[in-house]
Amino acid sequence: MYDAIVIGARCSGASTALLLARQGHRVLVVDRASFPSDVISTHFLWPHGMSYLNRWGLLGEVLAVTPAHTTVEVVNDGISLTGSVPVELLREYFRDLHGDDSGVVQSYASVRRRVLDQILIDAATGAGAEVRTGFTVRELIVEDGQVVGIRGRTADGEPVEERARIVIGADGRNSFVARTLALPKYDERPRCTFAYWSYWSGFDLGPAQLHRRGRLACAVVPTNFDQNMVLVWGPSEWSREFRADVPGNYQKALDFVSPELGEMVRAKGTREERIYGTLDQSAFLRPLHGPGWVLVGDAESAKDQCTAIGMTHAFRDAELVSAALDRWLRGDVSIDEAMTAYGDRRRSQNAAAYHDYVCTLAEMRPYRHDELQLFVALRGNQQETDRFIATHADVAPVSEFFQASNLFLLNDAAKESSADHAVFADFAETSRSYQQNMFA
Amino acid sequence: MTPPGDDTVTIDLDQREDGELIGIILAAARRGDFETMARTASEVSEMTRNWVTHIPWDDLASLDGADDELARVVEELTGMWEPAHLRNPVDPDEEYALDKNAYDFYRPAGRNLLTRTEDFYDWVQARRRTETWQYSRVLEAAPDSVAQITNDLGRRARGINFNSQDYLSFNTHPGIREAAAKAMHDYGPHSAGSPMVLGNTRISDDLEAALGDLVGLEHVTLFPTGWAAGFGAVVGLVRQSDHILIDRLAHSCLQQGARAATRNVVRYEHLNVEAVRRHLTEIRATDTRNGILVVTDGLFSVDADWPDLVTLQRVCREHDATLLVDVAHDLGSMGPGGTGVLGMQGLLGEVDIVMGAFSKTFCSNGGFVASRSPALKQYVKMFGGSHFFSNALSPVQTAVVREAARIIRSAEGDALRARLFTAIHALRDELTGRGLTCMGEPSPIVPLLIGNEKLARTANRLLFDRGVLAFMVEFPVTPTGSSRFRLQVQAGHRPEEAREAARIIEGALADSRAYLSSAFGSAPR
Ligand SMILES: Cc1cc2nc3c(=O)[nH]c(=O)nc-3n(C[C@H](O)[C@H](O)[C@H](O)COP(=O)(O)OP(=O)(O)OC[C@H]3O[C@@H](n4cnc5c(N)ncnc54)[C@H](O)[C@@H]3O)c2cc1C
Ligand SMILES: Cc1ncc(COP(=O)(O)O)c(C=O)c1O
Repeated sequence: MYDAIVIGARCSGASTALLLARQGHRVLVVDRASFPSDVISTHFLWPHGMSYLNRWGLLGEVLAVTPAHTTVEVVNDGISLTGSVPVELLREYFRDLHGDDSGVVQSYASVRRRVLDQILIDAATGAGAEVRTGFTVRELIVEDGQVVGIRGRTADGEPVEERARIVIGADGRNSFVARTLALPKYDERPRCTFAYWSYWSGFDLGPAQLHRRGRLACAVVPTNFDQNMVLVWGPSEWSREFRADVPGNYQKALDFVSPELGEMVRAKGTREERIYGTLDQSAFLRPLHGPGWVLVGDAESAKDQCTAIGMTHAFRDAELVSAALDRWLRGDVSIDEAMTAYGDRRRSQNAAAYHDYVCTLAEMRPYRHDELQLFVALRGNQQETDRFIATHADVAPVSEFFQASNLFLLNDAAKESSADHAVFADFAETSRSYQQNMFA
Repeated sequence: MTPPGDDTVTIDLDQREDGELIGIILAAARRGDFETMARTASEVSEMTRNWVTHIPWDDLASLDGADDELARVVEELTGMWEPAHLRNPVDPDEEYALDKNAYDFYRPAGRNLLTRTEDFYDWVQARRRTETWQYSRVLEAAPDSVAQITNDLGRRARGINFNSQDYLSFNTHPGIREAAAKAMHDYGPHSAGSPMVLGNTRISDDLEAALGDLVGLEHVTLFPTGWAAGFGAVVGLVRQSDHILIDRLAHSCLQQGARAATRNVVRYEHLNVEAVRRHLTEIRATDTRNGILVVTDGLFSVDADWPDLVTLQRVCREHDATLLVDVAHDLGSMGPGGTGVLGMQGLLGEVDIVMGAFSKTFCSNGGFVASRSPALKQYVKMFGGSHFFSNALSPVQTAVVREAARIIRSAEGDALRARLFTAIHALRDELTGRGLTCMGEPSPIVPLLIGNEKLARTANRLLFDRGVLAFMVEFPVTPTGSSRFRLQVQAGHRPEEAREAARIIEGALADSRAYLSSAFGSAPR
């Protein structure tokens, strides 16, 4: 009999197991995959994601093999902003959400999952959690409406049954736990992006670059093995046509969004792996908990990749749920109180506002005039640029940036005008042309 | 993409893209070719296999004969490759109406000022068509605790009225109506002109004195609206090189006044007096020459809370800064003898500058600015723009406000406030008892927190037909993602009416949540 069984041993699962084991609880964590291995993800960690790793003492290991930076360049229709997430906002984030702001770091990194998830698993093992990989859960044991354990198969096909006081579903977007319990989906937002990416060697651009033009975007981020993760994305309405020629359209999208990056990749780059891709990233939430079970990570809230936040959210969930469960397992609070504490933070106003923010961005509509004007107004205003980046990354609440008096002030303080930026020259015509599916 | 049916194995096996492979698997499934399915599955990248965990990648061959399972796998794989929304379109109007907010239209494109407003108008029309546009409803008769209204599609409704700012229910008070009628008879409807010329009457002088008495600051100037008073006071007093520290939730007239007056504006965290102290110290460390105006509301109009004015005023004095407090909502409606938040904190006569509006408790239009300084009064009259260059309050308005001020100070005023607070407590208790979140403190404004705009808009649509008139506030009045219903209570509300309204609101919210299938609650973080 374990205190907790965690299904899924990646960003949300291994971390939850690690934290619970460190708190002294008996934990079993299982995953059907073998490790080290990858999972679909472009694996960018914002500074709060890195800060979680640092709080858990794992950042050194990651940084030993992964390049990290603090400033990021964001270019929207040629309007460039460079900034970083401010330490003060990071501290505020951790204080508000977790009640302490230790271990904050300002850097970000792109960590291959085969690297990161292995580090997490090793740490969980080191903390005393029992880790079984190559173990597929095939059944939940339910007694009197309460989940009390799992049945599954080891890699050699051996059937196994285990029991615990709580079963934690950390089993991703297509969660087995959620499917087995027939959990509904809430707050669904079907519009999303398609994303295609691969790994390239042969150039080093330093900090990450995120570019957007019309309805398409691309990112180049240095990652492990001296490679760059090069990603393009666009509205899923265009995905069918994009798929007709993946390598050709991948390059075409790069060339369109940033001719310089397109040229860099073509002239200097060597592709080291196949091109990976996914089309369906529609967003949804699931119920968070019920008798004998609780969900974390993508299993409880899946969303589009366009703000690169899922792994950081998985870490957040791990801290929140382990803190809540620890109090219950120690007998300080009832399970209901513990789960309410977790639920309040995960289904808050700020969380709703960010969910809307990501989902709206994921529609990949061309930026409107006012949005581009806002980017112009931010140029030269470092403090607010940084706050905008922090808001985009879900460090600072959407409501604090997108507030009338703040936006007025930003406009008033603008140092540049639209006259300085080419996209405004014939804006109406340009935005009409952006509506055309360039892969059709 | 490889055409469906092509399952030739190429040499760069490991380079084939997953979409192509899944296309092959689906085509093979249609042919019942399980061997190809299984062989192709083994080529699918580890990334995808570890993500799409509900497909039995290693066991596709065993689907032979398992019709249900095969159908499920085909459906799931198709779903991954043909995103659902491309197959099931939604009502575009409703999606557009619910997913946007006014900020999305804040900077329109183009040089033609007339045509570039059209994008916004399209959105307004979508909100109207879906009956989620909460603005511009009109009254069909004098409102009291119940009102009859028409929405801007011409649909009528009758409901318990939480949209009037008439906190002491003066609109139907015989004394108030009589004062209006008498002024009408004595002076006619017109104020002759600007108060700087001949716009004021004797009633105006009496009113200034009565207000001075109420707030303990004897030098009072009248303005045609509360908005004009706030804007005028700020732009009249502050030079470009001065500084303004303003609570980030202070009323729009003060925010816009601050913008118009100087670029040196700091919007401090709501109610945070320590933040004010910090900013003042910082400013004074480098600037000892210029003025600093600190600006706050008394009772905040969408949050129903108020600052610690005692400390705030002391901190201002310590740094040679001047405090301006807007008591539009609390003066008359709460506090000992109707003295509002100032009276509650023992600050009558102690605050540097006080402004207010007659548009709430005083049952009229208009506003005022008060201080202990005759010089400040003359200065604001001359340089505040909105006093000098706008017609004075009409005699009828002035008379109504004067009579309202009299009642507010009387025993009847105390009785009305007691009734008002009975209704406030009934409403708040019933809402809270039903698990909803009332923000702020008991006061005539009861903000019911919703959070998500879509939920608020949908609930608002339902409430219209269910007999409660509640104003939904969203961006730009509140920050993005923290919409709410602002319920304004009146002395005329019977406690049972308030409780009934709370029950109806809870029902509408529950139904909206179900309609949107939303899991979000309204806790802040
Ligand atoms: C295209 C794309 C790009 C992305 N890019 C980023 C990014 O740049 N940055 C970022 O932060 N996030 C990104 N994300 C999101 C991020 O990858 C996810 O949020 C994150 O992987 C979620 O972690 P998790 O631990 O909850 O689930 P997962 O990483 O999906 O792990 C779930 C685990 O559960 C196991 N499992 C499932 N069922 C069973 C079972 N029955 N028995 C045993 N084990 C089981 C699986 O084998 C798997 O290992 C991206 C997502 C996509 C789709
Ligand atoms: C706090 C506050 N100040 C000023 C005003 C403006 O008053 P008026 O409506 O009289 O212009 C209002 C009303 O909207 C208010 O709520």
